[in-house]
Amino acid sequence: MAWKIGVDIGGTFIDFCALEQETRRLVTLKVLTTPDDPGRELLTGIERLAETEGVVPEAIEVFVHGTTVGINTVIQRKGARLALVTNAGFEDVVELARLRLPDMYSLFCAQPEPLVLRDMIFGISGRVLSDGSEAAALDPGELEAIVESARAKGAEGFVVSLLHSYIAPAHERAVKRALERMAPDLFVFTSSEVWPVIREYERSVTTILNGYVHPRVSGYLTGLEAALASRGVPARPLLTKSNGGLMNAAEGKSACVNMLLSGTASGVIGAAHLAGQAGLRNVLTLDIGGTSADLALIVDGEPQFGTGEAVGEFPLYIPSVSVSSIGIGGGSIARVDELGVLKVGPDSAGSLPGPACYGRGGREATITDAMAVLGYIGQVPMAYGQLAIDRDLAHRAVAVLAERLGRGVEATAEAILQIGVSEIFVEVEKLASRYGVDIRDFTLMPFGGGGPMLGCFLAREIGVRRIVAPRRPGVVSALGGLVADLKGDFIRTVFRLCDDDAAAALERCLEELTAEGETWLRKGQGFAGPIRTVVSADMRYAGQSFEIEVPLERAWIERVDTAAMRRAFHDQHLAVYDFNDPAAAVEVVNLRLVAIGESEPVVFPSSPSRKETPRPAKMIEVFLDGAHRTVPLYRREDLVAGSHFDGPAVVAQEDTTLAVPAWLTAHVDEVLNIHLEPAE
Amino acid sequence: MFDTVTLRILANHSRAAAENMARTLFRTAHSAFVKETQDFTVMILDPQGRTVAVPMDFGATWYPGLTCGRAIGMIDDYRPGDVGFTNDPYSGYLATHAPDTHLWKPVFHDGEIVAWTAGHIHNTDMGGAVPASLSRSLTEIHQEGLRFPPMKLMREGVFDEQILKIMATNVRKPDLNVGDIKALVGALNTGERKVLSMIEKFGIETFREGLGELLDYAEAQARGVLADIPDGRYSFADYADEDSVEGNPCRLNLTLTIEGDSAVLDFTGSDPQLASSLNVPSGGDPRHSMLLVGIYYVLYTLKPGILLNQGLTRPFTCITPEGTVLNPQFPAAVGMRSLTCARLRSVIFGAFSQAIPQRLPAAPAGNNCIVNVMTTDERRRRTVIAAVNPVVGGGGAMPHRDGTNGSGADAAYLKNTPIEITEAETPIQFVRYGLRPDSGGAGRWRGGLATEMAFRVFAPDSRITARNRDRSFFRPWGVLGGRAAGLSDMVVNPGTPEERRLGNTDIAVLQPGDVLSIHSAGGGGRGDPFEREAWRVALDVARGYVGEASALQDYGVVIREGVLDEAATTALRAARAPAGALPHFHFGPERESYERSWTTEAYDALTAILAALPVHWRFFVKTEIFAARRAADGRQSVEEAFAAVRRRFPQIPQITQGIETAEACG
Repeated sequence: MAWKIGVDIGGTFIDFCALEQETRRLVTLKVLTTPDDPGRELLTGIERLAETEGVVPEAIEVFVHGTTVGINTVIQRKGARLALVTNAGFEDVVELARLRLPDMYSLFCAQPEPLVLRDMIFGISGRVLSDGSEAAALDPGELEAIVESARAKGAEGFVVSLLHSYIAPAHERAVKRALERMAPDLFVFTSSEVWPVIREYERSVTTILNGYVHPRVSGYLTGLEAALASRGVPARPLLTKSNGGLMNAAEGKSACVNMLLSGTASGVIGAAHLAGQAGLRNVLTLDIGGTSADLALIVDGEPQFGTGEAVGEFPLYIPSVSVSSIGIGGGSIARVDELGVLKVGPDSAGSLPGPACYGRGGREATITDAMAVLGYIGQVPMAYGQLAIDRDLAHRAVAVLAERLGRGVEATAEAILQIGVSEIFVEVEKLASRYGVDIRDFTLMPFGGGGPMLGCFLAREIGVRRIVAPRRPGVVSALGGLVADLKGDFIRTVFRLCDDDAAAALERCLEELTAEGETWLRKGQGFAGPIRTVVSADMRYAGQSFEIEVPLERAWIERVDTAAMRRAFHDQHLAVYDFNDPAAAVEVVNLRLVAIGESEPVVFPSSPSRKETPRPAKMIEVFLDGAHRTVPLYRREDLVAGSHFDGPAVVAQEDTTLAVPAWLTAHVDEVLNIHLEPAE
Repeated sequence: MFDTVTLRILANHSRAAAENMARTLFRTAHSAFVKETQDFTVMILDPQGRTVAVPMDFGATWYPGLTCGRAIGMIDDYRPGDVGFTNDPYSGYLATHAPDTHLWKPVFHDGEIVAWTAGHIHNTDMGGAVPASLSRSLTEIHQEGLRFPPMKLMREGVFDEQILKIMATNVRKPDLNVGDIKALVGALNTGERKVLSMIEKFGIETFREGLGELLDYAEAQARGVLADIPDGRYSFADYADEDSVEGNPCRLNLTLTIEGDSAVLDFTGSDPQLASSLNVPSGGDPRHSMLLVGIYYVLYTLKPGILLNQGLTRPFTCITPEGTVLNPQFPAAVGMRSLTCARLRSVIFGAFSQAIPQRLPAAPAGNNCIVNVMTTDERRRRTVIAAVNPVVGGGGAMPHRDGTNGSGADAAYLKNTPIEITEAETPIQFVRYGLRPDSGGAGRWRGGLATEMAFRVFAPDSRITARNRDRSFFRPWGVLGGRAAGLSDMVVNPGTPEERRLGNTDIAVLQPGDVLSIHSAGGGGRGDPFEREAWRVALDVARGYVGEASALQDYGVVIREGVLDEAATTALRAARAPAGALPHFHFGPERESYERSWTTEAYDALTAILAALPVHWRFFVKTEIFAARRAADGRQSVEEAFAAVRRRFPQIPQITQGIETAEACG
C-alpha cells in the first residue's frame, strides 16, 4: 500500500494530507506546531498517521513538504549575517531600493531596514557595461581586505551582486571563486546564479534573501531528511515552491529563495486542483487564518503568477503565485474610536492570547468572538478537539464595545462581521481591478480555518453568487503539494528590439534555457518522465518602463518568426492594458522558460450521488440579519454526495465552520464539495 | 443620527471604488508619468464636487482635499455620459499648471446627479515654449501650453473630436496625451459603475446622506487632531533659493493661529507674484488643496489612518493676498509651482513644529529634482531623450529615530529607474548612485542622508535638465538643537581641474567625457548631537554615513581609524561649554547671514511697500530693492532702498493710501 503525503506547516497547526495511491483513500490530520522544536510535530504526525490510519512509514513513497521556516527567518530577522560585494559607488543600491515608500502620507514613512547594512557592504573596482564589455578590471587584491573585514564583523556568508551580471557574469564568478578560495568556510551566492535578470536592486535583494535564509533552511532540511530516514520513510522529501511547483530538498538547501512563499502558493495550487475537479474555470480563493486573509485568482483554470510578491517587508522578484494579503483574520481585533466609529483590524490577537473566546487571556473582541456571539461557532467541539470555545467570554468582550456603541451585543457582533468583511471587500476590488476582471463572474472558494466562516458574507459584499466549500478546507495547502509538479523557472535577459536581428540571440538563449531546464529536471531532480516546457518573453514597447509576459511558441524562435512574437505581444498588450500600438517598435527584455516534470495525476475518490436532505445534528440559535433565528446545524461528515439543504444553516466540522445565509441553497457534489447558489 | 457602522462600511466601499479607479487608470495609461511617476489622482466627489474618497497606495498625495465645484459649475446642463475637463490654472482654480488635465463625470440616479467621479493626469507635454511645457524661466501662462477652460470633452459618451484634434495639433506627444486621457475616462466609468452599485447596496438616501457623513467624520478627526495642539500663534518663514533668473530668494511666510479645533494659515508676508513660473495659482481659495498638502502630511502623521477627504480641510482657513506668489493674478506663469509647493510644505511643517515639537520631524530635504538627459547615441546616430533617477533627499530626523535616507517624508511617492535599464537604453555611464556622507543634519537623531548621482556622457553638447532643484543655499533646518542639513549642488567634473559648480542652475551642457554630479540636500537633525549615543555615531562612521571628522566636530565623538575612543569622547563631550537655551531651529550659516540683512522687520517693510503697489510693479520693485540693498552692502534699510529705487524709476506709482492702510488683499 503506497502512500503519498503532503505536509504544510502553518502558524498554529501542521497539516497532513495522505493519499493511498491504489485505493485513493485520502486522510487528513492536524497537529499543533512545536515552535521550540521544529520538526518534532512532523514525526508526531507521522506516528499518529501510522497509529490511526495505518500509514506505514516504509510505504511513504512521496513526501511533499511546504514550510514557513524560510519566511519566518525573514519576518523574525533571524537570518545569516551577510556581507555583500558590489560595485564601488553603488553600495547604497540596496538601501535606496526603488525609492517609493509604503505609507507615503506619513512623514515618518521609512524603508524597512535592509537585511544587509552598509557596514557589511563592500564596493570593488571592477565594472562591466550594459553590452557586457569590461570598463574596469577586477582587482584581486581588494578581495583579501574584504574577506578579512567581513570575517572580523562576523559574516557567515557572501552575496555577490555586480552591475550587468545578467549578461556578463564573469566578474561575479571570478569573485565567487576567489572568495571560496580565501574563505572556504563561508558560503557564497552570486546574483547571476540565483536569478540572472536585469534590474540591479531586484536581482540583489533576491540574492540577499537567498543567502539570508540559507543556513536555517538548509539546517532544517538536513534535519528533516534525517528525521524521515530515522522512521524508515523511503521517500526523498520534495518541497513546494513559490512558483507553485516542486523541487527536491537537496536543491532547496541552496535555492532557498524559491520556497519562501511555498505555503500560500501551494494553497492556490490545491484550490486550483479542487476547482478543476469541480468543473470551475474562474475562481477567487479566500484563505483566512488567524491574522490575515489571502486572496488569489484562478483565471480560466490557471493560477496567476507575478513578481514582486511580498516576503515580510521585502519584495520577491522570482516568479511566484500571486496572492494578495490583508490583515483581517479570525483574530482581528475590533475597537471603537474616539468618535464612536467601530473599526476591525489590522491589529490581531494572533494565536496568543488569541480571541477572547479561546480563554487564553485575550480580552479584546475579535472577529472569531463576534462569530461566537452570533452563534455560528462554539456549538460543537472543533479543531480536532484541541480548542474549546467559551461563548460567555466572547459575549463579555463584545459587550464592552456594544456599550460604547449603544447597540445590542448581537447587533454589535454582526457589525464587527460586516466591517471585517468590508475590509476584505476593498482588497478584492483592488485585486479584480488590477487584473481587469469582473469578479461577479467568479466562484468563491473559501478555505483555511476562517474562510468558510466569512466566505458567504464576503460573497454578498462583492457580488459573487456562487460559493464552493471544499470537503477539507483546513488542508488545501497540504493537498496542493500532493498535486503539484516539479517546476523550474529559467530566465535570460535579452534586452533588444524584437526584430529579425534579434533572432540569433533569441535562438541561442532558448537553446541555453532548454538545456538548463533539462539538466535541472534530469540531473537535479532525477526526473525520468516526459519533460514539458513553457516559453514566454517579457516584452514591451520600446521606451516603456515595464514589461508584460507574453506566452510564445517555440517554433516562432526556431523559425525566426519575430513578427509572430510581435503580434502575440500586441494582442497580449491589448488584453492586459486595453490598448495596443501595432505600429510601434517592440522590445524583448527577458526570455523565460519553465521546465515541468509532471506528477502522476491525483484522482480523488468520488461517491455516487443520491438526492437527499440531511438530518441536522441539532437546531441552534443564531443571530442573523438583526434577528434571532433557529437554524439547522449539520455535521460535515453527515453530508454525502447529493445532500441538499437551504440556508440559513451552519455546517460544522473539526477545523472550520461554514455559515450559510438565507439567500443561498446548498448541494453536495460527488467529491463532497458543498456548492452554494442563490435560492430560486 | 447616521449609523456609524454603515459609515465605516460606506467608507470602505468608497475607498474601494477609488482604488478600483486608480488601478484601472494605472493599468490602461500610456505615459511614464502615470505608469512610473504615478503623477495622477482619482477620486469620488459628492454632488457639490467635494472629494469624498481617494486611493491610499496609488497616485500622488496632493489632492485628497480637492474641491472641483467651481470648475464643474462652469459648465451647465450635464447629461449622462458627459465628461467635463480643464487644464487651465485660471478657470475655476482646479488645474494648477497646464500639463495637469482634470476630468469629471456626473453619476446620475433617477435623473439626478448624486455624485461625480473625477481625476487628473499629468500630460507629458501640453505644447508651449519648451518641451514638457515646464521651465522656471517662463513668465506668463501663455508660454506654458495650450489651455482649455472647463468644457465638455465627451457628450453623452462620445468624445468631442474637435477638442482632441486641437490638442493633437498643439502638443508634442499627442498619442500619450490622448492615450492617458482615454485611460482616465475608463477609470471614471469604472468609478461610476462602482458608485451605482454602492447606491444599490446602501439605498440612495443612505448613500446621499453617507457622503456628507464621511466628510463630517474626516472633519471631526481633523478637529480632534487640532484640539490636541496647544492654542497659539506660530510664525515661520522659509525660502526657495531663487525666485527667477534674477536669483533673489523667494520667501514664503506663514502665521499659523491655532484656536481650539480650528486653524488659520495667514501667508501674508510671502513674496509678490514672480516673473517666473514658480507661482502657485490658488485663486485665493481659503481651502485650496494645493495650499494644504503640508496639512495632510501633518494630520496623517499625527493620526495615522485618518480618513482622507475634503472634510479634512474644513477646520483650516488660508489667507493668501492677491498678487502674491501663492495667489498670482492672471497671466502669471505657474508651471514650476511644484518647487514652490515643496517650500510651502516645509513652511507648514516649521509652524507646526513650534506648536508640537515632540510629535513632528525636522525639515525634509525638500528638493525633488527630476533629471532628464538629451544626448546622442553614437552607435545609432540618433538623439536620445530619457528621464534618469530623481535626486531626492532624506527625511527630517524623527522624534524617536533617524530621518529616512535618500527618500521619505513628503517625497516618498517618487520612484527611481534601475541603473542597468538606464545604461542599456541611454548612452551614459553611471559613476555613482548612492547616499552622500555627512549630508544629514547632525542631531540626537540624525537627518536622512542626501542622494548623490553622477554619470558620464560621451556625446558633444549633451543637455541635462534638473528640474525642481532647490536648497543649494537655504538648508533644510534642524530642530531642538539638531543641525541644519547639507546643501544640494550640481557639479561638472567634480574633483578635477575642470570642476564647475552650477549651484541652483537647472541646465548643464556637457561635452564628451564630462561627468555630472548632482546631489540633493539632506534632512534636518533633531536634538543635541552631543547627546547622540557614541555607539550610534560609531555605527554611522562604520556605515559611511558620517565621516570621522564630522563625528569629532559635530558629535564630539572621537573615532580613529574606525575605532571608538570612549574615554576621549567622554572627556571631549564633558569639556564642551554649556550650550544654554538652544533656539528651536537651526538654519545654518547661509540663512543666518541672509537674515542679518533681511530681518523680519525688513521683510515687513518690503511686504507693505509691495502690497500697496499695483501687481505688475511688484516683482520689478522687489528685484530693484534687492539690487539696491546688495549694492549698499546691506547697510541700507528697505525704506531707504525703496526711496533710491523710486529716484531711479520715477514712473513707480505713488502709494496714495499710505502703506499703513494698504489694501488687505485677499
